[in-house]
Amino acid sequence: MSEKKQQVTRRQFLNYTLTGLGGFMAAGMLAPMVRMAIDPVLQESGAGDMANVGLAVEDITNEPQRVDWTITQVDGWYESEVTKSAWVFVNENDEIQAFSPICTHLGCVVSWEGSEEYPDQFFCPCHNGRYYKDGTNVPGTPPTAPLSVYEHSVENGMLYLGQPIPRGEA
Amino acid sequence: MKWIQQDMMTYKEAKDYIDTAVIPLVPFQLSQGQELKKNAFQREVLNLFAGEIERDLAGRVLLIPEFTYLKTSDRQVEGERLSSWCEEIQKQPFNHIFFITFDPAWKKHEQALAGTLIWLPAMATDSMQTSETHQMIRGQAQEMGELIRSYW
Ligand code: FES
Repeated sequence: MSEKKQQVTRRQFLNYTLTGLGGFMAAGMLAPMVRMAIDPVLQESGAGDMANVGLAVEDITNEPQRVDWTITQVDGWYESEVTKSAWVFVNENDEIQAFSPICTHLGCVVSWEGSEEYPDQFFCPCHNGRYYKDGTNVPGTPPTAPLSVYEHSVENGMLYLGQPIPRGEA
Repeated sequence: MKWIQQDMMTYKEAKDYIDTAVIPLVPFQLSQGQELKKNAFQREVLNLFAGEIERDLAGRVLLIPEFTYLKTSDRQVEGERLSSWCEEIQKQPFNHIFFITFDPAWKKHEQALAGTLIWLPAMATDSMQTSETHQMIRGQAQEMGELIRSYW
């Protein structure tokens, strides 16, 4: 009898310990999340970091060209090299345009004149999504929003790109 | 898409649009010392390839987690195990399955596979960091993407 009692006690003890440990772990996991949620200073800024994409402004024509560059992205504890791409050209108002190539449907990479049937359009190979040269999605194709536009700036004649900004539904 | 939480949320909503699965086939071993570096390097490169393909075709391609097996194992047996993965995948509307690998041993068992085998000849062991290596991988991945697209 006394033996049995002792067994129960030991099991209880273990139970308490494990529950305590679980709680401790949960707290450990939640703490950073809560901190991220309440403290804006700790949130990843991202914006404002403009990257030199290796393209001189004088080389930008009215024909969209693809530029690729890499940035180091810190995602919580995980740091990785991420390749970014953009389609860059000057429009008829002489403004530099830099579009994200990510299809607003489900995220494939679109190409300028990617389909012979549709010259002067961006084409998505996945479900034949299309966009006009100004990035607006062609009605009747799967995408429901225009291509995102990169923030851009020019320094010493070089093009710098920041974050892609989504445009509203069209 | 990748088999990660965020992408799976999209996947559930858009299942009908995602009809192509890509499975990297990766041999694992620790005992053949002279091959060790090469095998590990090939796994890294294969994952880079897979990542590039996924990046270009994310809206229609689901990158399945690597199918890993002992390098010394019987490919016929592993092929059966792989088939059970394919069965699981094909329960969804997947029309195309592609296997990508550096392991030539699969070539002989190609017929038994429930998809298309893309075998890549091994690359010389070198640093992954050089930009030429990345350029080369990027270029090859683009061609593989074109191959996949030709099946659509
Ligand atoms: S992902 Fe571009 S059309 Fe579907």
